Amino acid sequence: MAARPRVYRAEGVVLRRRTLGEADSILTVFSGSEGKFEAIAKGVRKARSRMRGHLEPLTRSRVLVARGRNLDVFTQAETVDAYRRLREDLDASAEALYCLELVDRFTEEHEPLPELYALLVGALELLEGGGGAAVTRHFELRLLALLGYEPHVESCVLCGGRLAEEETLLSAAAGGLVCRSCRAEAGGGRIVSVDAVKLLRFARRSTGAEFAAVRIPPGAAAELRAATAELVRYHLDRDPNARRFIEGVGALDGGG
Amino acid sequence: MAESGAPEPIARLIQEFSKLPGIGPKSAQRLAYHVLRASEDDARALARALTDVKERVVLCGSCFNLTERDPCALCEDGERDPSLLCVVEQPLDVLVVERTGGYRGRYHVLHGALNPIDGVGPEQLRIRELVERVEGGAIAEVIMATNPSLEGEATSMYVQRLLQPAGVRVTRLARGLPSGADLEYMDDLTLSRALEGRQEL
Repeated sequence: MAARPRVYRAEGVVLRRRTLGEADSILTVFSGSEGKFEAIAKGVRKARSRMRGHLEPLTRSRVLVARGRNLDVFTQAETVDAYRRLREDLDASAEALYCLELVDRFTEEHEPLPELYALLVGALELLEGGGGAAVTRHFELRLLALLGYEPHVESCVLCGGRLAEEETLLSAAAGGLVCRSCRAEAGGGRIVSVDAVKLLRFARRSTGAEFAAVRIPPGAAAELRAATAELVRYHLDRDPNARRFIEGVGALDGGG
Repeated sequence: MAESGAPEPIARLIQEFSKLPGIGPKSAQRLAYHVLRASEDDARALARALTDVKERVVLCGSCFNLTERDPCALCEDGERDPSLLCVVEQPLDVLVVERTGGYRGRYHVLHGALNPIDGVGPEQLRIRELVERVEGGAIAEVIMATNPSLEGEATSMYVQRLLQPAGVRVTRLARGLPSGADLEYMDDLTLSRALEGRQEL
């Protein structure tokens, strides 16, 4: 058997927590070096646990993990960033949780994706800084791109022809924008405005910070949200749970 | 599993015990054989306790705590301040707050916390009932005593926003250092909040 080190170090973001037994939790961490992995945090639900606060979901931590026969075990944990301002803002928390869920659903365990990790950490920092929903849109599109699901938006995905500057069909099934003459073959999709097309293109070559700095009219923001939701739904075959929460929180704003 | 050779009723009891949280196959076996050796009376008492807990315990229609009578003793108690409402995640949390002896208001049990990723939304909790209670008048302050976890905090913030139009005062428990803790191992979030909430000696 290959000699694998008995312990490993990783820096990652805690994606989720499940309780196990009396006082233990199983945590899912997404790290740059190990990719996504699960490990047990023993006694972490007891008041005197030394690791407890360092292993909360939505915390970026440095951890030391011992390989176990079935599940690995955290032996040390230290917070790098607890994203306090983000946590104390309901809307920002909702956006962040959605990003965490996307990472969890789109990745396999022990598959290192350092670029996706950098993207996630960047997005959390922007949300911490008050970046809002535009951060999530950029994150969704870049995540899809990094995992090989990038929608083709520069020309017609079906015939390769130039796209006129007009309302265009975005088809998740076809894999991008579809020109007027190919529409019938696209297998459904949604019509997006010129503004939305520009934003889809801009997301490809901008950083999260640059994208979040753009003033997006509410109409185009809603369009983009629906468009990325459709892309995500197409590739995941479901809607992420946290989407409903974002919508629920947003609805409270409108009502209150 | 080792119990394959045991007579069917024993195997079934082992099976049932092993469904309990924290009980593995070995503990389940030990419990089952203990019950087998116990007196007839003890075994019947256990069986009765198990069925009673399902048949006689109901949720209080007002605070949603577990009770034998609806409304529960805490809601009926005229000595308690009806203008104070302490919101907790679980029925067990009511017992914990009661044990401090320092709280003389009423309670509201949500039966969980929002967990957006696992799909636990407001409609799965007793949040609507909480809003109705607050809108009913009488309450001046809502104390959010949810867990200081991501889910608990999200729940508190959500409820706070939901109650804003009602104009009621919404507070939450202070966060700080647990007694017997080690400063060295404290997480940044707790420590920075403890620092903000420091008190005159």
